[in-house]
Amino acid sequence: MAKNVLLVDDSSTMRKIVTRSLRQAGLDFGDIFEAGDGLEALEVLEKEAVDIVLSDINMPNMNGIEFLREKSGRDGIKDIPVFMISTETGDDIIGEAKSLGAVGALKKPFTPDKVNEVLGPFM
Amino acid sequence: MPPIERYITDATLEVFSTMIFIDINPGEPLKGQDDGIDSNLTSMIGLAGDLQGVLAVHCPEKAALGITGAMLGMEVTEIDDDVRDAIGEIANMVAGGLKVALAENDIAIELAIPTTVLGKAVRTSGQAGVSRFIVPFASPVGDFGIELKYVLH
Repeated sequence: MAKNVLLVDDSSTMRKIVTRSLRQAGLDFGDIFEAGDGLEALEVLEKEAVDIVLSDINMPNMNGIEFLREKSGRDGIKDIPVFMISTETGDDIIGEAKSLGAVGALKKPFTPDKVNEVLGPFM
Repeated sequence: MPPIERYITDATLEVFSTMIFIDINPGEPLKGQDDGIDSNLTSMIGLAGDLQGVLAVHCPEKAALGITGAMLGMEVTEIDDDVRDAIGEIANMVAGGLKVALAENDIAIELAIPTTVLGKAVRTSGQAGVSRFIVPFASPVGDFGIELKYVLH
């Protein structure tokens, strides 16, 4: 069954590029929801049937790490898998993201082939 | 450690080859204080940590429209929120590449969130003793430049 995806990025351009890359990667996905920061993402997760989250780290209002921390404390959404998509690829920040429940990370910039390699097993 | 100019060049080439699909050619870095790129749109991102400063992407209108159109896979005819956002994202990704390269030399930096401004006379400024260069790039949609103004601690 196709997975519903939530894209979390303060850049609308990047959300469009990720959507295009998912298509170009040939991945099977259903609805795509969008959020501009962690706060908006939490609202979407409480309302919509989201199967997987692709989230930036460096965002205003609530960044990706804060989003993971808040999400991990909410029953009903805490088990939805989250991938980080970010220019932030240091072991420290990705390690912190994984300790808060992130299941993987994709470095920007990326190619559709890289999207397929990283996300394919989860889609 | 290689010159920082090379890190900017390599990061920019990676961004354009993987996500924008425009062939760009870097020129020799410009280091004079008066050297600049004619620009209608500038996206800046602050850098903090062991290297402090500002990275700025300077684009004439034609290049900004062409680059954004290539990123989004659609024709873009005027500078709008998409263009501001797209050039800001380029600044973010180039700064991210710089962060990774510097980290390999035990230089840790943190990135702010990009800010984009419109205007032909935008120039960044800094305190005395700050290093500055612009890497010019030629592309089929027009020339653009990436500037770094910084202090390395």
